[in-house]
Amino acid sequence: MSKEEKRVGVFICHCGKNIAGGVDINALLEYASQLKGVVVAEDNRFSCSEEGQSSIQDAVKQHNLNRLVVVACDPALHLATFQRCGEQVGVNPAFTELIDVRKWTMHGSPQKVDHAQALENSKRLMAQTVKRIRLKRVIPKVEVKVEPSVLVIGGGIAGVEASLDLADKGYKAYLVERLPTIGGKMALLYKVFPTNDCAPCILAPKTAYANMHRNITLLTNSEVTSVQGYVGSFKVNVLKRPRFVDEKKCTGCAICVEKCPAKALDTKFLAGTGQHKAVYIPFPQAIPRKAIIDKEACLYFQKGVCKVCEKFCPADAIDFEQKPENIELQVGAVIVATGFKEYDPSAKKEYGYGQYSNVVTQLQLARILDIDGPTKGKLLRPSDGKEPKTVLMIQCVGSREEKGNTYCSAVCCMYALKHAQIIKEMVLPDAEISIAYTDMRTPGKGFEEYYRQTRDLGVTFLRGKPSQIIEDPETKNLLVRVEDTFIGQPVTIDADLVVLSCAMEPSHGTNQLAELLRIEIDKDGWFKEIHPKLKPVETNIRGIYICGCAQGPKDIPDAIVQAKAAASCADSELRKGKIMLPEFMVKAANAS
Amino acid sequence: MGEVYIEMLTSPGCANCPAVKKLLKELADELKGDVTVEEVDITVEPTRAVQYGVMSVPAVAINGILKFVGVPKREELKRAIIDELET
Repeated sequence: MSKEEKRVGVFICHCGKNIAGGVDINALLEYASQLKGVVVAEDNRFSCSEEGQSSIQDAVKQHNLNRLVVVACDPALHLATFQRCGEQVGVNPAFTELIDVRKWTMHGSPQKVDHAQALENSKRLMAQTVKRIRLKRVIPKVEVKVEPSVLVIGGGIAGVEASLDLADKGYKAYLVERLPTIGGKMALLYKVFPTNDCAPCILAPKTAYANMHRNITLLTNSEVTSVQGYVGSFKVNVLKRPRFVDEKKCTGCAICVEKCPAKALDTKFLAGTGQHKAVYIPFPQAIPRKAIIDKEACLYFQKGVCKVCEKFCPADAIDFEQKPENIELQVGAVIVATGFKEYDPSAKKEYGYGQYSNVVTQLQLARILDIDGPTKGKLLRPSDGKEPKTVLMIQCVGSREEKGNTYCSAVCCMYALKHAQIIKEMVLPDAEISIAYTDMRTPGKGFEEYYRQTRDLGVTFLRGKPSQIIEDPETKNLLVRVEDTFIGQPVTIDADLVVLSCAMEPSHGTNQLAELLRIEIDKDGWFKEIHPKLKPVETNIRGIYICGCAQGPKDIPDAIVQAKAAASCADSELRKGKIMLPEFMVKAANAS
Repeated sequence: MGEVYIEMLTSPGCANCPAVKKLLKELADELKGDVTVEEVDITVEPTRAVQYGVMSVPAVAINGILKFVGVPKREELKRAIIDELET
């Protein structure tokens, strides 16, 4: 160990009045200058400003400093700033520390304390840090080669977009999807706001391109089972579950589906609104368009007889012997795009979902309205297949609650408006549509106009959250009790069909995946970004990024923006071809 | 006599952290020299955990170098601290 003299400089930032207003800066300066090893202690109005940084650099030169302690704000925010500042004048970045005292001094900070307490806390933290940095040794670093490939978990629109961006840049992308097809929830939406474009029509060019891109490997019906290693070199295991259909041979002709004699089952993919046979293709635009056998429904697997699909398959693609396959991948970065699931409203007994057949969710309504959906685009209510004359939509089901999900799901107002428009303009112009809302929230380009358009179509908006729905046992019509909060009166509404605008929730398996990747989860269960404003797609693990609804509720354009951001972050990390990493990190990973 | 700065990385609800904390306190009292022990809650200061590449707690870093992950043996921990005090 070198015996060079440790010369520490302490730089206290006022942060305008954010710090200076909450603690006695002069007392801090005086205290800092008598700490062992401290050669100079200075203050500055804004240390992060150009002027502040150059005054730090001047002090380094003048006093020959080799250790810097900046007393200011959250290291997640500015540590890199000061490390770069020091590095320019020869201070090893490992010997620059930023400590956060602003949390104790700034108005509005949840940890704000009084002047005396702030001074005491700051002194203690400063003394600790000065001592730590004085004794600290440099963690040895080694150069590591970077794999020019990326694992993308989740094949929804965000995952597809991130894969395409990276593949176009020349990286190899492995797109892992749990379901047999990519496209995610967007494939189920029928139309998208505010343009009312056909969702599969704008999605399909992307998914089809992903399928044929030579830099993208699609691993559908597959799940990530382990991830080890570090940025630049993650070792990944993927379990590919058997389709019982050889993907290379299957042409997607669907003759097997036509001939399959097994009883149709409710499908898992179309929000529970359709049915599929034992061998099926999830939906017409499924990518890859390959059949899959549902073991639970297949007569051969259950009773040992049948094999009709095998007999009729012209490509000889059926393979009942297919086994789960473990695929090992080596990638440089990981992008998590696992999306969301729709909140299950059956917990809300007052709305009778699951009990009353004419109470459906918005995702189910999207399937019903879809030209390719179970009713071929006709709005027919589930109980009797008749067209509803009155439709009531209930907003904020599972969102903005005092207990449960406290967050706003951000898209429910817009998709309710979208469905109201579709019904009014294309399906049942005479239907009476009411929307019972808490607040209509339409912040987005063209969204407020979309809201006005919907009003102009004659949709009724009622401010209030229904407290109870009662079903007429004979007609299956619904009686909805709600307080109109504008007039302060309870109202009862007759509805033939009730649609619940359910919250977005983190998709199944989010916790397990977070454990696998060692990344954090926020209080609502979404993957946590490292900084909500400035680093919205980075996680606590370098080389692992999050995007789309895996990070929190958002609409499609926002999910795409994040996917592009995550791809860009992965690119900046990988494009150098090699990176410097702490030796222990590389050693530990190689040992395991 | 030298100085030692020990960072003990911990998190709320960590089952084995109290044992390490106790061990460090005992050793700090027992050994002559300037031994400072800091408890670092990695949920409050994640950057500190990232810096050491720590994947699990408890973990112990001495003078800026990660030395132990998990519960160290008393003798090994003592040796590591003495080594640092003597350099």
